[in-house]
Amino acid sequence: MPAAARSIGEALVTIAGREGVQDDDRARTAAAVDGQLPRWVVRPASIDQLGRIVALAHDDGLAVVPRGGGSALELGHPPARVDVLVDLSGLDQVLEYNPDDLTITVQAGITAGTLATLLAPRRQFLALDPPGAAARTLGGITATNASGPLRARYGTMRDLLLGVRFVQADGVVTWGGSKVVKSVSGYDVPKLMVGALGTLGVLGELTLRLHPLPDAERSWLVLLASAEAAQAFIERVIASPLQPNRIEFFNDRALRSVPVEAAAAGVALSIGSVAEAVREQGERLGVMAKADGARIVPLPEGFWSRAARASTEGNGAVLHVVSLPSRLAETERAIGDAIRTAAPRGEVWISGCAGLGTFRVRVGNASAAETAVATTRLRARLMDLVGSVVIARGPAELRKAVDPWGPVETGPFALMRALKDEFDAKRVLNPGRFVGGL
Amino acid sequence: MPLSGTFLADLERIVGAEGLVRSAEGRLVYECDMHTFYKGAPDAVALPTRAEEVVAIVNLCRRERVPIVPRGSGTGLIGGAMAPLGGVMIGTNRMDRILEIDLTNRCATVQPGLINLSLTRAVATQGYFFAPDPSSQMVSSIGGNVATNAGGPHCLKYGITTNHVLGVELVTGTGELVRLGGKAERPGYDLVGVAVGSEGTFGIVTAATVRLLHVAEAVKTILASFTAIEDASEAVSAIIATGIVPAALEMLDAVMIRAINEGTGAGYPKDAAAVLLIELDGPAAEVEAQGERAARICWARGALEVRVARDDAERALLWKGRKEAAGAVGRLAPTYLLQDAVVPRSKLPAIMRELIAIGARHRVQIANVFHAGDGNLHPLILYDDRVPEELERAKAANEELLLACIAMGGTVTGEHGIGLDKAKNLPFQYADADLNFMYRLRRAFDPDGIMNPGKLLPSHPACGEGFRPARPRVPEGAWI
Repeated sequence: MPAAARSIGEALVTIAGREGVQDDDRARTAAAVDGQLPRWVVRPASIDQLGRIVALAHDDGLAVVPRGGGSALELGHPPARVDVLVDLSGLDQVLEYNPDDLTITVQAGITAGTLATLLAPRRQFLALDPPGAAARTLGGITATNASGPLRARYGTMRDLLLGVRFVQADGVVTWGGSKVVKSVSGYDVPKLMVGALGTLGVLGELTLRLHPLPDAERSWLVLLASAEAAQAFIERVIASPLQPNRIEFFNDRALRSVPVEAAAAGVALSIGSVAEAVREQGERLGVMAKADGARIVPLPEGFWSRAARASTEGNGAVLHVVSLPSRLAETERAIGDAIRTAAPRGEVWISGCAGLGTFRVRVGNASAAETAVATTRLRARLMDLVGSVVIARGPAELRKAVDPWGPVETGPFALMRALKDEFDAKRVLNPGRFVGGL
Repeated sequence: MPLSGTFLADLERIVGAEGLVRSAEGRLVYECDMHTFYKGAPDAVALPTRAEEVVAIVNLCRRERVPIVPRGSGTGLIGGAMAPLGGVMIGTNRMDRILEIDLTNRCATVQPGLINLSLTRAVATQGYFFAPDPSSQMVSSIGGNVATNAGGPHCLKYGITTNHVLGVELVTGTGELVRLGGKAERPGYDLVGVAVGSEGTFGIVTAATVRLLHVAEAVKTILASFTAIEDASEAVSAIIATGIVPAALEMLDAVMIRAINEGTGAGYPKDAAAVLLIELDGPAAEVEAQGERAARICWARGALEVRVARDDAERALLWKGRKEAAGAVGRLAPTYLLQDAVVPRSKLPAIMRELIAIGARHRVQIANVFHAGDGNLHPLILYDDRVPEELERAKAANEELLLACIAMGGTVTGEHGIGLDKAKNLPFQYADADLNFMYRLRRAFDPDGIMNPGKLLPSHPACGEGFRPARPRVPEGAWI
């Protein structure tokens, strides 16, 4: 190892302690990102240490790759460089929980599972349920803007993140937003950090809006003859007085993997409210399903976590497809066609927040090259829908063959690049991974 | 600096004679927003009808380094839509069309000058509404709502403007027309998220795509009066703790109740020190059950009276006092400073005690009407502008109250925005590094600093060229 590298390692040890810095081959191999081994794996014990690590990297022209739970490392382009992998799992403290205000401030490395356990006794929760949430860190969920079926009612992290403390590319610890549920004091900096993949700042602390758990919750599955029938049913539910907190579409394959009952398409709904209202809305839902000639079955507890697991099972690629609610059936067909044309033996699991037009697509029995072709084909088909197809998971080979983010329009991209140039001119933070290689 | 004849001729070529206000008396109309304290007339007012005209105006002003101030209906409360440095004001009033209503995807695309309530009216018969409901919604423009990220009584349940904006078409400070976001979300930085609430300092919104929500099946409005503000505050906390998220949860204090009772006679109990207005909406069965629960909570906290509206007429009556609050204080004093600070909801009793102490210390009367559900205070610090030092006392009380709110973990403004009025207060809440980050964010959209200069950010070293915040200490020398 060259002398310079050895002394950077020593400086890191001065900051994070001997136990916080690893540079042996085993640790480096275990922390590889898309096959690239970091030179150091550093685990800060405080946001102050995090700031000093990033400052050091900045001054030395090193690339910093933040890692939370490591569940979304296949999102985005393979990194241009990986020098210092910052493992944020040590920043897992709850800093301030105010149950009466329904707010909590946590360090970014805490997992959603730990948070849920902590909030349950007060009958409160963070209303975000991306697949695998329990093991994912809140910093990771924020940086990747991950969400699940509950977004139908509660929105995404952009609606729940009130304040954020982050480390800028030069190591300066910065705060944006507020700790109260309503504030317009200055620019809405938290919004900028959601979904930015840590490319404008490494997330250290989050202040989140919580929700009360409903008194009661029940779920049902409506079995339908086609995606068209599912779309029509969903439109009727949305235009009705019913207030579901999830409305999730499933294609035939996804239904079989859950598994409850087989059908060409299914719509699973949950209703959370006071017990009386849950019962009453359930009855109305039954009437609506029957009017459509559809079968409705109550869902067992644990259905939603099983469905989340099924949507990420195996090691096939996962695509996030966004179109419009009014094009559900059309989008479902376009996804199936694109994949089956590119990969004759390919299998497609589709589930998604049907009322919002967002779909999670798991691809099976398709090579990276076939999935790349299918992605390009699907983008072309969806272009007039102004939607997007993002590769949320897949081997580096796939993400090199096709842009994992898809095209970004010139005007918005110029602004995004201006922001990156302003806040990370030296390309220290997660270089190359974000849209357009930012 | 007055505008040159050539400049004005260029401007007139863009918007036409009918789209240009040059006369002194014409410009006077635009010298302030609803915060009449801050005055500054623009040197010219341009009233474009198309986005292309806005682009041309921005390019012209950029070439000549003339400041630009965007303005909607001018109903802001922060000294935002006024021109302290003169320059060109761009009024969006003539861009007031609904471009598309798409009920299947529950959204609409509108021009910025469209009046907030006009959108709800356009979709009401089909059972939809636009959720942000600032008190000014009958006159304020959606472009203005987007610029200030406006709130309203019902944002407790439905969120503020930003939660309802899917996309904007923006002419940035560099004269680029960009479409950010849209009906379907796209990868990349959330530029819509930072543009909403940027108060015209990033550019001018020339169109916005906003969410439409389905009208709730049932609404229940409850009015509860208490003899102590602590009891009312505790009822607020208890209602939220039981898992109810009311559509609105508003409170009036003793001074305000007296002012309203003396005026229109909303008929609040004379001994009431606090009135709580609770509105629930949603599926009928839920509203019924939660309404009973909320009423029980109020009785349990010692309510003097709990009234439940039985129909729309009664509902309007319960809201009447609340809606007339700002007007009613006119009977107590000729003028007032209006505050918009927020405290964590659980700190309401503490801040109310502090507020009474501050009022006594500075010998000013403070009336309160506020969004109790989210801790958003609207104290009206009353003073008589004919008595010279009364304004000074009111200002001192105002600043002390802001500091108290921030010390309790709160924020300077919950829904009105910063403008010229609160820019000086931002350093109470943010460190130099935080302010500097915001300054640089602004620069990415408006590198020449021509968009609404002097607003939102304070004149502070951290908001200037060349400032670098203190960096963390790194181990010296070892690695070089």
